[in-house]
Amino acid sequence: MDEKEVMALLASLEEPAVLATIVSAKGSTPRKTGARMLIGRDGVIAGTVGGGCGEGEVLTAAQDLFDGGPPTTVRVDLTDDFTSWSPAVCGGIMNVFIERANPERFGDV
Amino acid sequence: MKLSAARVAARVLEALEMGERIYTAVVVDSADRSMIGRRWWLSGRRSRGTLGNPALDAAVAGAVPSLFPPRESRGALSRDFEYRDGERTMTARVYLELHGPPARMVIVGAGHIAIPLARMGSMLGMRVEVLDDRPEFASADRFPDADAVRVIGFRDPFAATALGPSDHVILVTRGHSFDYECLVRLLRMEAPPGYIGMIGSRRRVRATHEQLAREGFTTEDMGRVRAPVGLDLGGQTPAEIAVSVAAEIILFHAGGTGVPLVEKERVVERFFGGEGA
Repeated sequence: MDEKEVMALLASLEEPAVLATIVSAKGSTPRKTGARMLIGRDGVIAGTVGGGCGEGEVLTAAQDLFDGGPPTTVRVDLTDDFTSWSPAVCGGIMNVFIERANPERFGDV
Repeated sequence: MKLSAARVAARVLEALEMGERIYTAVVVDSADRSMIGRRWWLSGRRSRGTLGNPALDAAVAGAVPSLFPPRESRGALSRDFEYRDGERTMTARVYLELHGPPARMVIVGAGHIAIPLARMGSMLGMRVEVLDDRPEFASADRFPDADAVRVIGFRDPFAATALGPSDHVILVTRGHSFDYECLVRLLRMEAPPGYIGMIGSRRRVRATHEQLAREGFTTEDMGRVRAPVGLDLGGQTPAEIAVSVAAEIILFHAGGTGVPLVEKERVVERFFGGEGA
């Protein structure tokens, strides 16, 4: 799914979702600044911020936002990911900003 | 209600549909936590939303043109901005995106070089337009990858093609006088294309420049024209020449050196070259 399709989905999504965006990246990260992922209560809806590389951390942090947590930046450090089972070659550091994508769809607003 | 990511995404899609350029901004870090997640967009003179402080909005709006070169159609970056909040100077980290119409390659002259060049422009993600005054050459059948193929007159070749700084124009017409007509038009534009290339031998390029000089164009004007166009690869066939032009366009955007990587990196010399390395 390309960036424009993720954008179209983001604009039209009816269920509550969290948006994760790579806002800065250094070194050899799998996706670059500007990459987006939409996350629902049950997991990834669309897009990716890095496949197996560090995406788990982002998904975990996103759950807080469904529970009322504030928008925040998740710093994903892939430089010492020696234990990773991912077949992808990961390295580098990226900052992923997570926020409620469509606060108007959250029941608590 | 605060402007949400979903609402801004809808606005971006609308802008792209209309062929407009739009900037979006969101605060990703700030000492004032309530500003995090505040966002805003700017397109031409229209803007909506706020980053949570009018001085910060103004600082970001003022910086945007220099952060994204006019020729680029996509961009994403984070920057720290300083702004005044009463007596204090504050800092906020803002994530910015640029969305614009896709870069365009306008090929003037539908001859043998235009065919592989149009394909490569399309492969590079550009919108490709081919112009020629000969209907038998400017035909859609000849250019299946082009988004538009137009029959034009060289008195006003760009009448149906509104050009701007994000455009790439490559002059490969069949005659020196046609190239010249096009160049005069391009150089007199208020906002000329960022990339203007003209094919030709040294002699032909020189003749064109001499004519421009007689018309009162400065050496600065002439310096805006890449002529002869392309990188020095040594190729001769239409496809090889098209590769050299496409390579120069990549270089223009990506800012590489244009030298072979083996010479730039010198891996063998650096790591296997013995004591001297």
